[in-house]
Amino acid sequence: MDQLLPSPGFSIPSIGTPLPHSGEEEMILLSAQQKQQQQSTQEQQQQSSQQQQPQGSQMGQQQQGSQMGQQQFSSGLTPHTLLQPHTPNLMSPAMGTGGSQVGVGSMFGSALGPSTPAGGPMTPMTPHSNDPGIVPQLQNIVSTVNLNCKLDLKKIALHARNAEYNPKRFAAVIMRIREPRTTALIFSSGKMVCTGAKSEDDSRLAARKYARIVQKLGFPAKFMEFKIQNMVGSCDVKFPIRLEGLVLTHSQFSSYEPELFPGLIYRMVKPRIVLLIFVSGKVVLTGAKVRNQIYEAFDNIYPILKSFKKQ
Amino acid sequence: MTYQLYRNTTLGNTLQETLDELIQFQQISPNAALKVLLQFDRAINSALAGKVRSRISFKAAKLNTYRFCDNVWTFLMSDVEFKEVQDFVQVDKLKIVACDGRGPGPGGASGGGD
Repeated sequence: MDQLLPSPGFSIPSIGTPLPHSGEEEMILLSAQQKQQQQSTQEQQQQSSQQQQPQGSQMGQQQQGSQMGQQQFSSGLTPHTLLQPHTPNLMSPAMGTGGSQVGVGSMFGSALGPSTPAGGPMTPMTPHSNDPGIVPQLQNIVSTVNLNCKLDLKKIALHARNAEYNPKRFAAVIMRIREPRTTALIFSSGKMVCTGAKSEDDSRLAARKYARIVQKLGFPAKFMEFKIQNMVGSCDVKFPIRLEGLVLTHSQFSSYEPELFPGLIYRMVKPRIVLLIFVSGKVVLTGAKVRNQIYEAFDNIYPILKSFKKQ
Repeated sequence: MTYQLYRNTTLGNTLQETLDELIQFQQISPNAALKVLLQFDRAINSALAGKVRSRISFKAAKLNTYRFCDNVWTFLMSDVEFKEVQDFVQVDKLKIVACDGRGPGPGGASGGGD
């Protein structure tokens, strides 16, 4: 099987794109705290210089801008603009998402972009909302792999254990294994979909097990182009949420139709993740290709959710 | 289309052995034996579908394997308990082969245990 690479899963921007890993939640939490502290140096200087700003639609833009890329602001703002006390409220779409969120981001102590050299450490004037250490747990991972050979599905269904094949209903063999508990759809073209794993490594391991089963049946199966297509995570913010308020202020991203579905569907732009937010405070995050997108999305949404806490 | 599923039951096997004996003693032709077996298929399928009313339920500790191919389900279970109101049968290993009852002809299921 593949070697586990010893790199943190959580994206510390200076280190770069994370590689797949497993079971490093403590590391992630630690790095989340480090990132939070880095941001606090920015926020402190802003909070000391800025007044109360209208919250309104800034909140909508804030979460977009909060992921600012590696070491610079994605919209091209220089750190210099951070220092100006009353940066014009850059609400116009022309400014992009970066502008307004710069002023606003600090207000809510949200997960801003990575540390910039702008300003030195200053004593915090107001306590910023701390990441409480809630880490979304991965619930499901969907991946695909190409076995690179044509398969006789009937032969597979007859000889393999725990297989279903009903060509009238679906043109693939549905096979399951117990460890890791997953389900695979195996097509006659040699392509395979593996679902149900709880981690990236489990998904890869399970796909390899299925490939081995097919290999043992006499097909020259390979393991080409393994790719994780979707990751689903969930977590609980532990407080009830005012979904109506959220859909009013973040109308560009949210859709909430309680008669249709009890959860609010929040389509975050950066990272491109869809979140299902429920009144109870439970959040489901989906659409990620890598683990960090889930974490990032949650870090972005958490301050927004906090501001819509039901009192 | 009647399933030949029931030929591999105690009743079906006994019938086949009897027919083979008769063929050996040249009392019937192999063709006649074949016709008998086909009639047996029809009779047993219609009897089980129409004349049997009693029900029995079972519960297994573990489903070892399952298979679905050609519209036939095959289950392998272990530690199975068959329960009727008064009866209680326990079985270590159970194999169930089930054909579609809703097909163009009558279907059925047959099981074997030890």
